[in-house]
This record gives sequence, structure tokens and C-alpha cells, in this order.
Amino acid sequence: MSRNQKQAVLFVALLCLDLRTHVGSAPICPHGHTGCHILSLADLFDRVIQHSARLHGLSSDLHSEFEHFFLPSKNHIGRVYRKCHTSSILTPNGKENAQKLAREELTEVILKLLTAWRDPLSQLHQSMAHQQDFNSFSSNKALELSDMVHELRKGVEKVTEKMQLLGMISNSVNGLSSSEALLPASESGEAMSDYELVYCFRRDSDKVQNYLKILKCRIVPEHGC
Amino acid sequence: MELRTSLSLLCVLLCMLGNQAITPHRDRPEDYTPATHTPEDYTPDTPVLPHFTGCRSREQETFRCWWSAGTFSNLSEPGALVVFFQMKNTPLSDWQECPEYTATVENECYFSKTFTHIWTSYCVQLRATAQNITYDEFCFTVENIVHPDPPVGLNWTLLNVSRSGLNFDILVRWAPPPSADVHTGWMSLKYEVQYRQRNASHWDKLDLESGTQQSIYGLQTDKEYEVRIHCKMSAFHNFGEFSDSIFVHVAPIPSKESVFPTMVLLVSGVVGLLILLMLVIFSQQQRLMVILLPPVPAPKIKGIDPELLKKGKMDQLNSLLSSQHMYNQDTYREDPWVEFIQLDLDDAGEKSGSSDTQRLLGFTRPGPKGDDDSGRASCYDPDLLPDAEGLLAAHCEMEEHHPLVSESGPSTPSPEATDAPFLPFRTQPVGQSWINMDFYAQVSDVTPAGGVVLSPGQQSETPGMNPDEKKKKGEDAGDEEVEKEKKLQLLVVGSDGGYSPEVVARQVESSAPYSPAPENAYHALPPEPGEEPQTWSVGYLVPDGEAQAPYFLPEAPPASVLPPVSDYTVVQEVDGQHSLLLNPSAPQSPACPPNPTKHLPSMPAVPMGYLTPELLENLSP
Repeated sequence: MSRNQKQAVLFVALLCLDLRTHVGSAPICPHGHTGCHILSLADLFDRVIQHSARLHGLSSDLHSEFEHFFLPSKNHIGRVYRKCHTSSILTPNGKENAQKLAREELTEVILKLLTAWRDPLSQLHQSMAHQQDFNSFSSNKALELSDMVHELRKGVEKVTEKMQLLGMISNSVNGLSSSEALLPASESGEAMSDYELVYCFRRDSDKVQNYLKILKCRIVPEHGC
Repeated sequence: MELRTSLSLLCVLLCMLGNQAITPHRDRPEDYTPATHTPEDYTPDTPVLPHFTGCRSREQETFRCWWSAGTFSNLSEPGALVVFFQMKNTPLSDWQECPEYTATVENECYFSKTFTHIWTSYCVQLRATAQNITYDEFCFTVENIVHPDPPVGLNWTLLNVSRSGLNFDILVRWAPPPSADVHTGWMSLKYEVQYRQRNASHWDKLDLESGTQQSIYGLQTDKEYEVRIHCKMSAFHNFGEFSDSIFVHVAPIPSKESVFPTMVLLVSGVVGLLILLMLVIFSQQQRLMVILLPPVPAPKIKGIDPELLKKGKMDQLNSLLSSQHMYNQDTYREDPWVEFIQLDLDDAGEKSGSSDTQRLLGFTRPGPKGDDDSGRASCYDPDLLPDAEGLLAAHCEMEEHHPLVSESGPSTPSPEATDAPFLPFRTQPVGQSWINMDFYAQVSDVTPAGGVVLSPGQQSETPGMNPDEKKKKGEDAGDEEVEKEKKLQLLVVGSDGGYSPEVVARQVESSAPYSPAPENAYHALPPEPGEEPQTWSVGYLVPDGEAQAPYFLPEAPPASVLPPVSDYTVVQEVDGQHSLLLNPSAPQSPACPPNPTKHLPSMPAVPMGYLTPELLENLSP
């Protein structure tokens, strides 16, 4: 049986290798045609943008459910200034600012944001699952959000690699795998509550979606961009 | 946990109430537009403080805020109220005054692009210029106050009209608001189309559409419809203003004549079909019944007509069924044995006055009989045993006188032939079977001489027969059969095996003490007591082909008393009318030697003249 096991392992390894090579090469058209590469990048961008839109929609739904639960007082949003843990990340606050920002920086900002939310979302899901106030639907949404953020980050990394491959952006976008661990903490140093987390994430997912759209418009020339 | 949440809710409620008491805020300032909701519409009696009526952004790049002075008329002068705002960034900025008060619009503060930061919390305050009083504060983020402009270029085209001409479908098209930058993707909009009939109050809403066209189905042709559209940012809840309504109207196309004939045709077709079906059913009722409910097949026997079974007579049935070899009817009628029993009456009755029975039993009827030496054994055959001398004598006489006896089979002096003289009847082929014989006969009368008169059960009556004789004959016939049967039984019982009628005969003839006789023989006693018991045994046909016919052995009655055995009778003689006369008291032929059966011990007289098994035991030698 050990022999069979070895063979099975070899087979799986070969498959994995194959998969990786296929993922790496990607384009259907032969290498060298710029038009062909751009098309594929545009498809990638579209896919990523759709994903981010869905992410934002989910976070918005979760936020609405939270508001139903907690009935925040009017202007509770504004009165108490919520400092999200991602506030330290410098992000463009407008369309023009985002358009003025370099592509690399913009990409980096996106990746930073997505990386910063990986752990807090899983933490959110765990805390929501333990509480009795939320139904399973909400806690499942939180879980789905953390998965989606993870996938979106991978997708954006792929797009970044693609862009770097095509020479559209420089290689200054360093690998963010070893990014600083931004622990979600409020101003007072306490851990953020669930509501605050959801609120912050909703905002950040909107940022990511818009940044990706702007980036796409800048990378892939389309009419009206 | 529940306690905590309830407590927090309570606190929140109190806070809300408190806030409402202090500052007349509205929870969602985004929902209000300055045009529709003005504090002047509300109760003017209570003093209304200056407050913000709302803040809105159209394209997520700039936004505006409006306020109202309330009932404080003195503050309605321009410049009396100022707006301060603060952006909640990491370094909390100071409160700044409204960057631009719109000149054309009263009480409006306009925030340009430079002052508009998306994803940033803002707080605006309404302050009195003179005093240091903050009448109202309102906090928000810009993306949450975005109300897109209405789409432009709303138009409709007719898709199709239904066959009936009553309904139609249209396709509605529009363009996104020009202020919203959808090309770059800065804003992604979702549109909602609403329509209603001209004077209806309720608007029908279609699903949210991301594109720029949508179809409306199921509109009625003779009615006029109003269509409008508005949009919102996807994942947000704030709809913008409605666009201008467009009116849709399609004139009904008169197409009635196409409808009418088809209906008529359909109805007439269905009616005709129904009539045809009814006709078919009624005309072919029988056949349909046969097809639908097939008759159950009756049991059939080959060659037999079932009608005959129902109505035919017994004779026909019998003939039918016999031909089928299914059952044998009573064949005893044609039984040769039966025939054999039937004696030739004419000759016997005319020729001699003596009855056959008498002759059989040895009554001396002197009279010449032709052909005495026709091969019959003579009475004085030395082979014959002295026991059966009486019988022989009777037999001899019978031979001489009885015409039937003349027809008897060969009677040789051989021991086997000893049985032949005892043939009182016509010989018949060997293949006689005793089974077909009628063993029973009815006792009709008892003669004064002590003979029992039998009447035949099923034998045809010959004319001129004496009823007594007839009865006797019948009785005898029945009795002899009974006795034959009994004889069968007794023979089986008494013998040691390997019995043959000849042996019985020999035994009967030879045994002096007549010891086996009581076992083998049985008595048929006449009613008179004191008579000598007379035994007669019935011999059987030996199936090995000997020409021996069943015969009676009317032995000379033993000297003992006749016990009362009621089942049997002794055949004395056979008369001319085919009846057996039973007369135990009839005197034996003197020519014959006395019956050694007289050796039997005397027995008490039994009136019935039958021998019971107990009596048989007593008849020990």
C-alpha cells in the first residue's frame, strides 16, 4: 500500500504543478501581443470589481442588520467618532485624489486595506457566533465576508502581478504578506465592538471598490475614462 | 446578555428623548429634502428652534446643507445663523465655518470638492452669530447622503400587442444622470421604474435595474399610463428625485371578427363530436357491451352440447356421457349375469308344471326329460360325496327337468365338475363379475309353507308371473346375492387360505361332522321352528377360466336346529317365474342320501331360521 500511496502523492503533485503553471501563463493569445494581454487584464479587473461590489453589498446588509439590532441614537455615527483601525492608512478621500495618486500607490493602498481586514473579520465572526443576539444568518454573513476579503486580496495580488508583468506598474509594490499587523483598537485602546467593526468595514469595502474602479480606468483605457 | 441589551436600549431611548427635548433633530437628515419638509408645516404654536433641514450630495463629489430658522423670525435674517463644520479625521480639525453660502439659495451651505472628503465623518453645527449658542448639530458621512440625480432621456417603444388586441408590452429606455460619473465607475447606479394608470394613486414598481433599459409587460391598450424613474447608488438606500413622467398610450386594435369565428367553430366542433359519440354508443351498444364486458366463458366439455345438459332427458344424458367414457351408468341392466338370472319363462312355464325352484331343490317331478344323457353328471355319480347327495339329487332332477339346466355347462365327473351339477342356471361366460350383481332383493311375502318370497328390485316383470313367485324370486335373488356376499366373507374368514370354492364344496361334501360347515355355511331358515337347518353355500366364479358359473349349493339341511338369522334365506327351489322359493321345510329328495349334516347337534328352534355367529359356535362338532 505504501507504493500506491507514493504514486498517489506523485500524481497529486504533478497535478498541482500543472495547475500552477497554467495559472501563471494565463493568456490565450500568444505572448507579445499587447492587445491580447490588455484584454485579459481587463477581464481580471472586471472580475475583481464584481467581487468587490459584492463584498460591499454584503457589508452594507450586515450593517443594516446591526442598526436594526442596536438602534443607535441619531447621530450616533457622527457623535462618537469612530476611529477605525485602518484610519492610519492614508487613503485618497475623493475621486480626484484617487485619480491623481500613482497606480502603484493606489494598488498598494488597496492591498493594505484588504490585508488589514483579514483577521478582524474572522474575529468578528467568532464574536458574533457566540452572541445570542444575532441569528445564524448574520454570523454566516460575517464568515462569508472574511472569506471574500481573503479571495479578493488574492485576486488583487494576481492583478498586481499581471500589471507588473506587463510593465504597467513598477515593481515597487512590495509583497504585503509581511504587512504590519494592524490590530483593531479604538481610541481608548479597547477592542472594537462588533458594530464598530461592521461600520468600519463597510466604509473600507466601499473604498476598495471605488479604488479598483479608478485603477481599472487608468490601466485599461476605455471610453469615458 | 439580554439584561445588558435591554439596559442599553433603555439608555438609548432616554438619550433620544433627551436629545429631542434639547435639539429638534431628525434621525435621518438624509431623508429630508429642504423643499418638501419645512418646519413651518408643523405646528407653529410650539416654538421651533433653528435646525438643519438636510444635507445632500448629488454626485459624491460635493454636497450641500440647508437649515431653517424655525419660529425664530429674528434669526431668519441672513447672517444671523452660521454653519460650522468639522471633519473627523485623525487629527481632529477645528471647527470651520461653511466654506460657501450659496448666494442664490437661502440658507444653504455648499461644500465644494476641496471640502468634500468621502469616507470622512462630518459634523455641522448651526450657531447663532451673536450668541454662542449651538442650535443644531448634524453628523454624517458623505457617501451616506448621496442622492443621485434622476436619469435623463426616458422614452418608450412598443414591443408587441397581444392577439386579442387588449394588452401590449413596451420597452423603456433612459440615460444615467449626467452629473453622476458612471463611466469611470466612481458611481454605480441602480434604477427603479415606476408606472401607473393615469388617474390611479398607487404606483407599480419594477425591479431594480443596473442597465439603462427595461420592459413593461401587460399594459392595457385602452388605458393611458404614466411612467417615471429614479435611481440610487448600489449598496446604499437613498433614492434620488424622480424624473419627469412620460405617458404611454396604445389605441386598441379592433380584431373582434377573428375571435368570434374561432369560438363558434370550436363550440360547434365539440358539440358535433359529442353527438357522434352518442350515436356510436347507442347504435353499437351490444357490441360495446361485449367488448367492454366480455361474457364469462362457460365450462365446456368436448362433444357435449350445453343446451342438452340444461334441458335434455336422463337417457340422452346417459348416452352422451357414456360416450364420453366419463362415468358408467348402471350397467347392471345389460349385465349378462342379470340376464343370466332371467330365466326363460315361456318354456319353463309351459313345459312343466313344476317350478324351477322345485326342480332346483330336488323336488321329484317325475317326467321324462329328453336328453338325459346329454353329458350331465348323473345323480349316482360315485364321485359325488355323500354329503351332497341330497344336493346332487336335487341337481339331478333339475338337470332332468329344467330346460335351463340342460343348457348348463359341461358337468363332468371330475371334481371340478361336481360343481357343475349344481348349476341351476344358465351358464354364462367366465367374465362374469359379481360386482354388477344386485345383491339385495326385497322380501315381499312369506309362504305358509315357510318359504320367503322375494321380489326383484329392478328386474323386469314378466307377464303371468305369480306375484308370490315373483317375490320369492326377487327375494331369493336378493338373498342369494346377500348370501354370496356373506359367503365371500365367510369363506375368507373360515378358510386357512388358498381357498377355492371347490374346496368348500368338497369340505362341505366330505366333512362328516360338518364341522366347517357352520363356519362356511349359513342357514336360511323358514319361519317354522324345528326345521332342519339347511345350509346352502354359494360358490364363486373362479377367475382362472374354469367354466364355472356361480351356483348355489343347496345342501341338505343339517339335523340341528335352525338358529334365527334374519339376513338370509335358503333357496329351496326356483319356480318357473324366475323366483326362488325358499322352503326349508320342504322334504328332501328321498333318493338322495340323508344329509350328513344331521349330525349337527340339535339346536333350539329359531323361528327365523337363521344362524347367528353365536349359534355357529355352538354348532361344534
